[in-house]
Amino acid sequence: MTLLGRVVATELRPSTPHQFSFWTAPHAPLGIGSIVRVDGDERVVYGVVTEAFAYSDLARPLDAVIGADGDPGREDDAPTSRPEIRLWTAAVLRQLPEEPLQPVPFGGVAAASDADVRVALRMDAYMQPDKSTGLPIGVYAAGGLSAPVFLDADFLLGPEAAHLNITGVSGLATKTSAVTFMLSSIFQTFPAEKGSVAAVCFNVKGPDLCFLDQPAPLGDADLALWRRLGLEPAPFPDMTLYAPFKADGVNLNTLRSNAALADTVQPLVWGLREILDYAEVVLNRDDVDAKADALIDFLAERVVGRQFEALELRGAPFEVLSFADLEEFFRAIFDHLETSRGGEVWRTHHVATIRKIRNRLGNIATRSKGLVTDDGVANDLPWGAFRDRSLTVIDVAGVDPLAQDLVFARVISRLREHLERRDLGVDHVVVFVDELNKYAPADGPDTYVRKMLLDLSERGRYLGLVLFSAQQFRSQVIRRVTGNAGTTIYGRMDTDELALPAYSTLSPAVKAKLAALPKGELLLRHPHFTQPVFVRFPRPAALSGREGVERFPPSPDLPFAEAVVQRLRALTPGIIADQVRAVIDGRPEAEVRRALSATVRRRPDDPFAFFRAWVRRTIPSESPEPRRGIAPLASDDDDPFAPY
Amino acid sequence: MPASPFDGLRRDLAAAGANPATTPWGELTRAGPGRETGSADVLEPPLRHVCVGEPEAWNSDVAFLDGSQHVELVGHVGTDPLVAAVVRAAVRERSGRRLQVREELSRRVVVARPHVLDRLATTITGHDCIALDASVPPHPLHDLDRAHAAIDRARAALEVEVSRSYRTGRDNWLIADGTLAVSPEWATDRRMVGVVKSHGALPFEGTDLDTYLTIPAGHRSSVFVVSGGGRPPLHAWGLRLRAWEGHDLFHGLVRVEVAAGNADAGGADLLSRRLLAERSPLATGPRSDRLLYGIHDVDRYLRVRGAAT
Ligand SMILES: Nc1ncnc2c1ncn2[C@@H]1O[C@H](COP(=O)(O)OP(=O)(O)OP(=O)(O)O)[C@@H](O)[C@H]1O
Ligand SMILES: [Mg+2]
Repeated sequence: MTLLGRVVATELRPSTPHQFSFWTAPHAPLGIGSIVRVDGDERVVYGVVTEAFAYSDLARPLDAVIGADGDPGREDDAPTSRPEIRLWTAAVLRQLPEEPLQPVPFGGVAAASDADVRVALRMDAYMQPDKSTGLPIGVYAAGGLSAPVFLDADFLLGPEAAHLNITGVSGLATKTSAVTFMLSSIFQTFPAEKGSVAAVCFNVKGPDLCFLDQPAPLGDADLALWRRLGLEPAPFPDMTLYAPFKADGVNLNTLRSNAALADTVQPLVWGLREILDYAEVVLNRDDVDAKADALIDFLAERVVGRQFEALELRGAPFEVLSFADLEEFFRAIFDHLETSRGGEVWRTHHVATIRKIRNRLGNIATRSKGLVTDDGVANDLPWGAFRDRSLTVIDVAGVDPLAQDLVFARVISRLREHLERRDLGVDHVVVFVDELNKYAPADGPDTYVRKMLLDLSERGRYLGLVLFSAQQFRSQVIRRVTGNAGTTIYGRMDTDELALPAYSTLSPAVKAKLAALPKGELLLRHPHFTQPVFVRFPRPAALSGREGVERFPPSPDLPFAEAVVQRLRALTPGIIADQVRAVIDGRPEAEVRRALSATVRRRPDDPFAFFRAWVRRTIPSESPEPRRGIAPLASDDDDPFAPY
Repeated sequence: MPASPFDGLRRDLAAAGANPATTPWGELTRAGPGRETGSADVLEPPLRHVCVGEPEAWNSDVAFLDGSQHVELVGHVGTDPLVAAVVRAAVRERSGRRLQVREELSRRVVVARPHVLDRLATTITGHDCIALDASVPPHPLHDLDRAHAAIDRARAALEVEVSRSYRTGRDNWLIADGTLAVSPEWATDRRMVGVVKSHGALPFEGTDLDTYLTIPAGHRSSVFVVSGGGRPPLHAWGLRLRAWEGHDLFHGLVRVEVAAGNADAGGADLLSRRLLAERSPLATGPRSDRLLYGIHDVDRYLRVRGAAT
């Protein structure tokens, strides 16, 4: 242990129990964020450097001018150079003994060793040789030292505390990369006795999270860093990507559409039932009055998915399975009200309420085309069968905001329900929401999604439901969500953001460092750490979105028939395109889609035969049916209740 | 500088060919102990101004010497005072533009009338005792002055002692704060320079004094001899480190002393050029106009060491 400096305290700048100053020689290997150790009489204090000063004995700038005779070049000619000081301020991380808490003693100051860092950050409390809940997040590096830094799983994934939030400017803060790396770290080191863990990531931007199962070439420095942290530099071995279809219902709405990766991509398709349960998501304004509620309940409980008899509407019972069926049902009601003298009310529901709900639900169907099926058969996440250490990416980057909200709401709510019942398949789920400012904005309407994220951040840790979130500007996110994150990370920060009062606890030097932080370095707050510390993490071992689309260029959208062939070919590679074309030729697309989704879902031994049989089951009616679906209602601008 | 009621008078003075000065009264150079003038022998007659040339760096490591005292009245026995002091002296040597302490000494001293020292003999162990002359009738203020003078002498003796330790095995130039006349050892040391900032005793009178007091910046006077008191004679000259115009007469003026025969005209020029180089960096503090940074550095070092021994 080499002595670098010595604690100094004056009346104006005294040592306190939480802060001290020390001086060093000008070239001491220290910087902002360095962790140091002070050895005093029977007391050891650990601190992190938060501010630095240098000055000489020059009393006034004018003295320098006079001394050099007004010529800046002559200052170097002075036979004596003025003594300089490097004066540092450090915030106390830990004192030993902890009690009684006293001012920092006037001891010698040395750089912290690996073991010191462990003690200083109180990692010794959760990292015993026989029992450790430490999850590596990066190395603390300073003065030629690099000590691994670990987070406490009990405080990252619950139950003591939970959630992680990361802030920083676009492209330089390495937010998405840091979360990706942290997920790798969790999957590799989360202790078995703590149970199983899976991750569900919402991909909200381009190809960001689409290729996390693909290995990325790493440089020596990054490989060394992975190893230093005791981790294997490997991508996620068990990843499934879910994406809704595009509006055509056959091409997937994702940039991971390269044929080479097709077998780990699943369509995300929901039916009327799935959506109706979350109708609130899009009806979350003043318009969810008691009347609307009553109608939705009525639809959900009595109509959708069952035989519903209403002889005043028509003789045959309704079987509402899809949006198209629902539209037919609504139309029957309106026809009935128009023709009969029934007036304005059908079974206690006022025509205005019925119209409103019809518009809302129709709006969902239109704006979520590709997510919502015509045939009422869903393809959903593996509820109840989540695998330990599996990564599920839900690609909603290309879909309408309303559909995104729907996906968020339903997925998170279902995760919550299953975790409450302990039948999800895993004990813990990390949900990653990037661009959190869009979904939980500080100001803006109190949407269902926002409320849900708030609920998740406040109650999730008891359930094992953990939120990892990222945003460029923390100030733009509702405080209670970021405030509930036990672990807070900052990458390179915007200076205007740093000027906000919320950052006033950071010293000017720490702010300046944050404003110029290199890629791969982060400032970390964790419940065990008394002060935030800087760490460096390696590049993720999986392809970034940008690298991914270069390596696996997205396939161009296929014409309908081609797309059908392609999807069947994924089931039976030997399928003959012309035979498929012959089967679907002249058939309505919706019907072909239904057959296709049934085939994909059932995975029969002979997919082609099954598909053909399914298509043939539908006998074309004499007058070709008008294409089913819902008339677009989205452009109903006058509707004062429209939520979007 | 705030406007003065005499700005107009200053302008008139300048117009009349006089040298206006703006030094505040409190910062004027005032006479120290001696107030006499004299008529020193001039070695380069007649007494005149000599331009020494551009500042020039020393060609080897030099050292600076200074002393300090921390004096306190610690009590009375009856009405007779007991004065105590910590005196210190240090040499700081410059190498590679950095000054580092090479030698350092300190002493605890007590001064009082003999009967006081006798009374307190067991109490003041560990101190050097200096007895005041008992034949002088007691006077509390005069006794304090005499005690202070005794401490000055003790400090001067310690400075000589520290220079002696430094001298063993080294023949660097050693620049002392003040006159070399304090010791025959210094007065004959051929590698010592004394830089005297106070001008209580002036070497000349009449027109020579005018010449001496109006040395321009970057000039010296002719070399003259300082002798008396049975000490070995010294050679000395006035050197103006900074322009005095607009200030008082002594602004930037020092008397440089060397052992007799140690500096011919060329040697005086060379030493002067080297001392001019020492004006930078600018020392801060009282008399910064004639304080060399190296001396300031030793002084500050001693001050920081404080009263501790
Ligand atoms: N550990 C690292 N060290 C150095 N560079 C890194 C590291 N991790 C990621 N990068 C690089 O930083 C860049 C930005 O990373 P990333 O996409 O994670 O940033 P971001 O903060 O999520 O940006 P945005 O706000 O635009 O989503 C990438 O090009 C990546 O290669
Ligand atoms: Mg990102």
